[in-house]
Amino acid sequence: MTFAKLMKTSALAGVLMLGAQGAYGETFRWASTTDPQTMDPHAVNATPVLSFLNNIYEGLVRRGETMEIEPSLATSWEPLEGENGWRFHLREGVSFQDGAAFNAEDVMFSYQRASDEAADVRSWFSPVTEMRVVDDYTIEFVTNAPNPLFPDSIANFMILDKDWAQSNDAALPARDAENFATMNVNGTGPFTLASRDPGVETRLVPHADWWDAADHNVTEAIFTPIGNSATGLAALLSGEIDFIQPIPLQDVAQVESRAGFKVLEGEETRVIMFGFGHEHDKLLYSSDITDTNPFQDPKVRLAAAHAIDIAAIDRVIMRGKIEPASQLVPEGISGFSKVHAERPGYDPERAKALLAEAGYPDGFSFGLKCTNDRYINDEALCRATASMFAAVGLKAALTTGPVRDYWTQLRADDFDMYLLGWSPGTFDAEHPIRFLLHSQDDEKKLGSWNFGNYSNARVDELLPLIQQEIDPAARQALIDELVGITQEEVAYIPLYTQPLIWAAKDNIELTQRADNFFMLRWVTVN
Amino acid sequence: MAFFILKRLIQSVFVMIAVAFLAFSLFRFVGDPVSQMTGVETSAEDSARLREELGLNDAFIVQFGRFTNNMLHGDFGYSYRTRQPVADMIAARIPATLELGTVALLISLLVGIPTGVYTALRPRGFVTQAILLTTLVGVSIPTFVIGIMLIFLFGVQLGWLPTFGRGGTVQIGGWTSSLFTFDGWRALILPAVTLGVYQLTLTMRLVRAEMMEVLRSDYIRFATARGIPYRSLYFRHALANTMVPVITIIGLQFGGVIAFSIVTESVFQWPGMGLLFLESIRFVDIPVMGVYLVVIAFFFVLVNMIVDLLYVAIDPRLRVRGDG
Repeated sequence: MTFAKLMKTSALAGVLMLGAQGAYGETFRWASTTDPQTMDPHAVNATPVLSFLNNIYEGLVRRGETMEIEPSLATSWEPLEGENGWRFHLREGVSFQDGAAFNAEDVMFSYQRASDEAADVRSWFSPVTEMRVVDDYTIEFVTNAPNPLFPDSIANFMILDKDWAQSNDAALPARDAENFATMNVNGTGPFTLASRDPGVETRLVPHADWWDAADHNVTEAIFTPIGNSATGLAALLSGEIDFIQPIPLQDVAQVESRAGFKVLEGEETRVIMFGFGHEHDKLLYSSDITDTNPFQDPKVRLAAAHAIDIAAIDRVIMRGKIEPASQLVPEGISGFSKVHAERPGYDPERAKALLAEAGYPDGFSFGLKCTNDRYINDEALCRATASMFAAVGLKAALTTGPVRDYWTQLRADDFDMYLLGWSPGTFDAEHPIRFLLHSQDDEKKLGSWNFGNYSNARVDELLPLIQQEIDPAARQALIDELVGITQEEVAYIPLYTQPLIWAAKDNIELTQRADNFFMLRWVTVN
Repeated sequence: MAFFILKRLIQSVFVMIAVAFLAFSLFRFVGDPVSQMTGVETSAEDSARLREELGLNDAFIVQFGRFTNNMLHGDFGYSYRTRQPVADMIAARIPATLELGTVALLISLLVGIPTGVYTALRPRGFVTQAILLTTLVGVSIPTFVIGIMLIFLFGVQLGWLPTFGRGGTVQIGGWTSSLFTFDGWRALILPAVTLGVYQLTLTMRLVRAEMMEVLRSDYIRFATARGIPYRSLYFRHALANTMVPVITIIGLQFGGVIAFSIVTESVFQWPGMGLLFLESIRFVDIPVMGVYLVVIAFFFVLVNMIVDLLYVAIDPRLRVRGDG
């Protein structure tokens, strides 16, 4: 450390300090609760990572402001003739952030890397049987069956440079030790990494040779993870950051009441629901019914649905910000069943009558499992629901816990009823069918989040038909039939879509996308 | 002396192994690392393979044995969450925690000792009562509430000080310090005060009690009668005699300050070891949690050793017995 360098650092610190008090230029600072675990686009299939890296890396296709699929590194695509699969025509003249040119070899390499056993995103490619390079700017994916949704399903498949990855020993995603791609990047996207201090601060700067016209006016973007929500709010209100995602519901009024700040609200696509132990022969946590599982009777499940007053939950717990849900995807997602948009209304009398009909006139007790740190106000939701259940005779013994050991308990069938939130990764109704409604089938990798193993032969039959149907009207008819069955049988009780609540300074314009991704390329600092 | 230090260091290895053993016996209850490392679409088969690769299917005693053996060979492993070497991650966070803890301790001593003396000399004064009451309220409020209150007052309302982070830092060797920039000091004030409040109260009350005790003793009365100036009397003769227990208690507390800076670090997004530990719990990052706890155990042993050495240095009677 020379004296000059020390002076420079101090001077820089002084400038940053001044910045905190007003004149920002076009430096944009933002915070979120979770630091992306890695800079490797294939190592972890989680929103904080994919959202962050979508600023740096790009896929063949990308999602626009309203989630529509649009050309990115591919300019156009069409189904293959004579076999199942898709052909993609690649964009010419694209360069990586280190200056290397982009071509079909990079796509091939990235496909091999992302579908390797060491990659967490490999499930995207489970329908792919082969990938071919036709020429420098044409590639083909061959799939095991017709797959109309394949281009949509790979919107987060990010391409990296073959030579860069190979020459830096990062040909595969890091599994148990770090590699070069954990901390360094080389994508084709609008921003590139200037510095990274994991868990502390990450700086991005624009990629000068980006192929697309930049809509943003950001010259430097500084990201800080702030885990504590009160600290994050204070950082925004003190002007040290320009934008934060998300803020807790209870802080909305606080932000709105201050001049110079705004709250951005949208609907996330995550549907919150209750699930049942369909295949459990008896209740685990009941004090009165120990030899059978009343929830195997659809009447009992419907009774539970009628016992819930969504309007009251919205008013009291969610401050009027939720959208009631009738099925496992919200309206606006492709494949949403409009003919089944009605959800069971709040009707405690009907609930009691149904319970009596099912042979439980006095109700019964059971165990309800909920998270307390996963979804917005999840614990409060479960407390409120438990008392609504109790009003009709369903006495729920509530257990709440952190999400880090929640899935383990659910996978071990340790529940009578449980809370779950589901966001359709492909933005299509097929996604929750595959994971939540199809019966558990490890071999075919289906029903992997169907903890209670809801099982209906017709539903299992419909899934492949829905996946392969090319004609939109015929496909919608199949989905409508399936949604009808699952509503009839009350496979789950869909409750509502939870809100996305972000907060920013008034001079910031940005786009809130329904998948909770934050894209720097739509940020304008006024 | 060298033998004493060596003996303590050897003991510390056993303390660390014991801590690691306890930690590992509890890790099973923290949660499932694999579900934190993978996305929702990961197949059961891939999750099972990852679990096998990480050795999570092994009995706890096997996992503990592997961890201990690797540690003894200087291999601290890789984080499940970031895939980075744990040794580097912890080492990068140690300076922030130590600087915060040290400054908090200095604040508590520089404020606590003079106020302790003052309140002992004027036990019934109005100012004394006000100080005692304020500090009592100070220790009664939980640390995170004090932190948030300070942030909203000085960071948000007045806008004088930053609300999070370390501000400007400089690299000195491998040590990232925020003590050499103005901005770094601005960022350090609120967290250090928050962390130091409890220590400050403790120091003040301890000095006050000891001082009042000493002031009643015969040699002070005698010295007063002899006409020794008050300044010399209070600060040279009386205060020096109160310092032995004060140093012991405060020294031992320093280990606690380092270990329990977790809450303060979380409230101020202070990038120290405590914050890293909290993030690691959230992601069930067993290697980082294990090493953190072992490092903290080492700090405790080290601090206790230094206190023992200071004790011997200050109190001549112990020195005689120690040599004998």
